[in-house]
Amino acid sequence: MTTAVVLLSYAAMVALVGPWMLLAGGWSDRAPRLAIVAWQCLTVSVVAAVALAGVALLIPTASVSGGLAELLRACAMALSAQYSSPGGAAAAATGAILMTTFLGRLAWCLTVVLADARRRRSRHRTALDLVGTTVPGLGAVVLSADRPAVYCLPGRHRRIVVTSGALQLLTEEQLTLVLRHEQAHARQRHDLVLAWSQTTAKAFPRVPLFATARAESARLVELLADDVAIGQDGNRLALADALLTLSSASAPVAALAAGGSTAGARVRRLINPRRPLGRVGAALVASAAIGMLLLPVAVAVGPAASATRMDYCPTAAPAAAASVPSSAD
Amino acid sequence: MPRFGDLEAAIMDQVWALGDPVRVRDVLEELQRSPVPAYTTVQTVMDILFRKGWLTRRKRGRVNLYAAAASREDYVAQLMGEALAEAKDRSAVLVRLVEEMDPAESAELRTLLEAARSDRSDPDSEGAQ
Repeated sequence: MTTAVVLLSYAAMVALVGPWMLLAGGWSDRAPRLAIVAWQCLTVSVVAAVALAGVALLIPTASVSGGLAELLRACAMALSAQYSSPGGAAAAATGAILMTTFLGRLAWCLTVVLADARRRRSRHRTALDLVGTTVPGLGAVVLSADRPAVYCLPGRHRRIVVTSGALQLLTEEQLTLVLRHEQAHARQRHDLVLAWSQTTAKAFPRVPLFATARAESARLVELLADDVAIGQDGNRLALADALLTLSSASAPVAALAAGGSTAGARVRRLINPRRPLGRVGAALVASAAIGMLLLPVAVAVGPAASATRMDYCPTAAPAAAASVPSSAD
Repeated sequence: MPRFGDLEAAIMDQVWALGDPVRVRDVLEELQRSPVPAYTTVQTVMDILFRKGWLTRRKRGRVNLYAAAASREDYVAQLMGEALAEAKDRSAVLVRLVEEMDPAESAELRTLLEAARSDRSDPDSEGAQ
């Protein structure tokens, strides 16, 4: 019971404080790759904490770290102990409902997001392969359309698409940078990052954390792809120029975020680059991210580990005793 | 199993190029591919394209006449529509390079860019590598 409460409080706290930490000081612009990982760890941590809270209610003393046989034995014992006490059954039922609805909803949304993306992508790709022209050596499909646009259809059968309008407007150097940007998206599977953040946002629309994580992930993969395209000595101003050329609207843009668009922020970042995040900062963020992943598991397993150390389950004692001494001393 | 993708594209190209409703034989005559595909192969692929909704088919006498369901430009417009709409809801379906920008912001950034360019080349154009 206590474990579940601790885990749920942890989830609530991380959901509140986490985004604030990740957004603070704009450090994410200086280390987009690390920031993407941190957002992933944050969302996974919250999801894991809530799911494990359900497990903790359901099986209070199960040894998650032990073998399967041990786990089942502990389960059976714990369950019988639970149901004999009043309130234990209610807690177990709550845990079961919490866990199944939570994980069920998440799994359902993930399936919908992935299946929908897969279906729309494959339809788009079919049409693309019939009307587009594959230019050898370009590594992209050319669509004959006046409107300048470049995009990438990610996935296993990825396509990078350039319109003939874009080919006319971009210089060779700009085109190379732009294609490298799209290849970075495709190769590093940024679509999977976006699919996960989209899933959590869809599953729990009322939780601001997930909406923020989704918007930030979408923004950060663009920054990361820009950085990959530039590489060590690429021409930042040429890429900035290409982005400006491809983003000029043919019609007035209706809604604009305060302080300019994401596209504008990207161009500014290319013109006036900030120093990448230093080693100390990066190490700090990385350890916080790993901590967020480990903490819920540690909280959930902690009481179970101490329970196996006591002579709580006689049948499990030999196995437990064998595994304990190293950690007990 | 043969790869139909390329052949599908080549057949659609011919149907669009010929314009009028065509027989399988007309397409086969125009296809410039080596090795020349068999008549039955072209017929099979055109039936597949009919089932996919890319071609329409009607019978005149004992001959099937095929025509494109929509023009090439219609398909391109549809693809562009999907690509441009996608950027707005930020889904994982496709990733567009850059979304549209307000003309005022664009002009402002263009000025910044030109300033940065002249900064870079002006003061130490000799010293820079």
